[in-house]
Amino acid sequence: MRSSGRLDGWTAGRLGIFLSLLKRVCGMPDYQGYLAHMRERHGGCAVLSEREYFEQHMQVRYGSGVSRCC
Amino acid sequence: MHRILWLLVSAVGATAWGVIALRRGETINAAWLVLAAVGTYLIGYRFYSRFLARKVLGEDPSRATPAERINNGRDFVPTTRYVLFGHHFAAIAGAGPLVGPVLAMQFGWLPGTLWLVFGVVLGGAVQDFVILFGSMRRDGKSLGQMAKEEIGPLTGGLAMVAILAIMIILLAVLALVVVNALKDSPWGVFSILCTIPIALGMGFWMKVIRPGKTVEATVAGVVLLLAALVAGRYVAESPTLAPWFTHGGVTIAWGMMAYGFLASVLPVWMLLCPRDYLSTFMKIGTIVLLALGILWVRPDLQMPALTRFIDGSGPVFAGKLFPFAFITIACGAISGFHALVSSGTTPKMIRRENDARLIGYGGMLTESFVAIMALCAAAALDPGIYFAINAPLGALGGTVENAVLRIREWGFVVTPEQITGLAAMVGESSLLGRVGGAPSLAVGMAAIFSGVFGQHLMGLWYHFAIMFEALFILTTIDTGTRVGRFMLQELLGHVWRPLGRTSWYPSSLFAAFLIVAGWGWFLIQGVTDPLGGINSLWPLFGITNQLLAAVALCVGTTLVIKSGKARYAWTTLVPLVGLLVVTLTAGWQKIFAADPRLGFLSHARDIAARIVAGSQDAAVGARLIFNDRMNAVLAAFFMATVVALVIASALEWLAVIRGRKPAATREALYVESAYAK
Repeated sequence: MRSSGRLDGWTAGRLGIFLSLLKRVCGMPDYQGYLAHMRERHGGCAVLSEREYFEQHMQVRYGSGVSRCC
Repeated sequence: MHRILWLLVSAVGATAWGVIALRRGETINAAWLVLAAVGTYLIGYRFYSRFLARKVLGEDPSRATPAERINNGRDFVPTTRYVLFGHHFAAIAGAGPLVGPVLAMQFGWLPGTLWLVFGVVLGGAVQDFVILFGSMRRDGKSLGQMAKEEIGPLTGGLAMVAILAIMIILLAVLALVVVNALKDSPWGVFSILCTIPIALGMGFWMKVIRPGKTVEATVAGVVLLLAALVAGRYVAESPTLAPWFTHGGVTIAWGMMAYGFLASVLPVWMLLCPRDYLSTFMKIGTIVLLALGILWVRPDLQMPALTRFIDGSGPVFAGKLFPFAFITIACGAISGFHALVSSGTTPKMIRRENDARLIGYGGMLTESFVAIMALCAAAALDPGIYFAINAPLGALGGTVENAVLRIREWGFVVTPEQITGLAAMVGESSLLGRVGGAPSLAVGMAAIFSGVFGQHLMGLWYHFAIMFEALFILTTIDTGTRVGRFMLQELLGHVWRPLGRTSWYPSSLFAAFLIVAGWGWFLIQGVTDPLGGINSLWPLFGITNQLLAAVALCVGTTLVIKSGKARYAWTTLVPLVGLLVVTLTAGWQKIFAADPRLGFLSHARDIAARIVAGSQDAAVGARLIFNDRMNAVLAAFFMATVVALVIASALEWLAVIRGRKPAATREALYVESAYAK
């Protein structure tokens, strides 16, 4: 038996994983994933804000055109 | 244990094919087609793709992928294989696999099924996989770059011009599909128009109000989209509002051109990016829904396995079963365009080399499965209804009564009440002559969904299906116009340097204008064509798409031979030769066939004769003749380009095989993967 508080935490965690999966499948920027990447690989470096990250992602992904099939 | 499982899969697949082979002349259930297809895909994936991966391409799980080596947290990101599979699938799946099999249904359901299933296992999936793998080994280089480096600079340049020209035809023909679905349909026009303010709102939300909150914006967008769909019915039924949204084909065509131009020059966050999210959500959702619907309803196929139109006399498009079944189906079996996606974002995200098989080969099998479902939905329609929707208005005689008589001459029974009743049920004034595949697929999908949820929602489902198709066709049009603009600017930059600067506004506007004018010209030609346009443009699109696949397979063969695996070159050479035979025959027939319904040049002569005889208006006739000649020149240009590419590649292959050139490719150097430890 989980207490209601823990259940909420558990659900939130699952929801977070689901949302992150959904975002990545649709090619959306995953800011939490980026933060994790920065923590792991580039410990002391400055981190982009969510807004900066989103804008950079859009430029990289769509700036030079994105191929969509027929 | 594994052996038993695979024996079981083979047995189920073989039984399904057996049922399909033996039950000729009776109606057959769609479930057998689905079982036969899935059984074959599983066998193909388990055995053939593994052979390709291990023996032909030499996958090495210990070798670090570009995503691992370069990992910059932006475009090079190691991604779990199932996520990347979904991502890649969403990028390759579009309107092609939905429309092609529906049009090819005029030959019956059997040719389409066979080509979709075996074509993909031996051709389409091989192409996607080989190009994806090649690009992954070269840090995500594009098809054009690989052609340039591995075959030669002239070949690379030629490939680039061909890709640009093909893109223009593709955009025109997809736009034509949307125009034919939306003309005189206030419900459809209203709900599609609503997607523009919805996308603008989403873009504003993600950029300004809550930066980066993409999921909430997209979910809100989907909800608004569904609200627009429901509201569309009231607009269509309102005598004051309906005329505002009821337009003929030409007006809608001009509107689409204006939209395509704006979308390709506006900042990406305003329209392009939010629409892309929206259409990806809708695409994946609807395809899953369709699969579940077909499994739930398991409809009987009403269409015969083969129709009399295999002799080339069909009303939907001209040409015999060979080669036009292959040309018409195009995308679901083998699609050259995938080579552009497979050498784009996907290879930069593969986590480990042995993931490429699931993503490249498996992704394409899934696309073929989507095409099989579209085929089932269309084959489940009454054949009389199918021809009433898909034959051009000119061939049907204009009115419902004439159409019923014509269709009876073709050997199918349908009553006027059936046709008008169906149109009323889906909330349209008429369904006659809505050429292009989208409306008949929408009727088929609506019938299947209604079978699950009840008949009273038929109109809503029909417009849902139309909106879903139009949404991602429009996404293809704005992204395609943009990509075309960049490609053109790169080419123009060689002529006059400032034209190549993508950040210089006048140059961008100029290039975008040229691209839109290019596809717009073909679009208007199609919309004003008395035979519906799809007749001449879809085969032209099919030929160009398959020729692009031939280019990709040429590059693939070069990669295989240069990596010292010449003995396995048949894996790409066999589909290459097949494609060349099919496309060059079809191209030749489209240009030179004596039948004016089929050949561009004989059609032009036919019109000229009618002008002389006085039965054709001279001004309209002159325009039709010009269109025919232009199409003929274009087809000839594509064929010549591809033949030149094949010859250049073959010379390179011979040089390597004879030992005059070293069997060496330009792969990135080996680095050991950390995941392998």
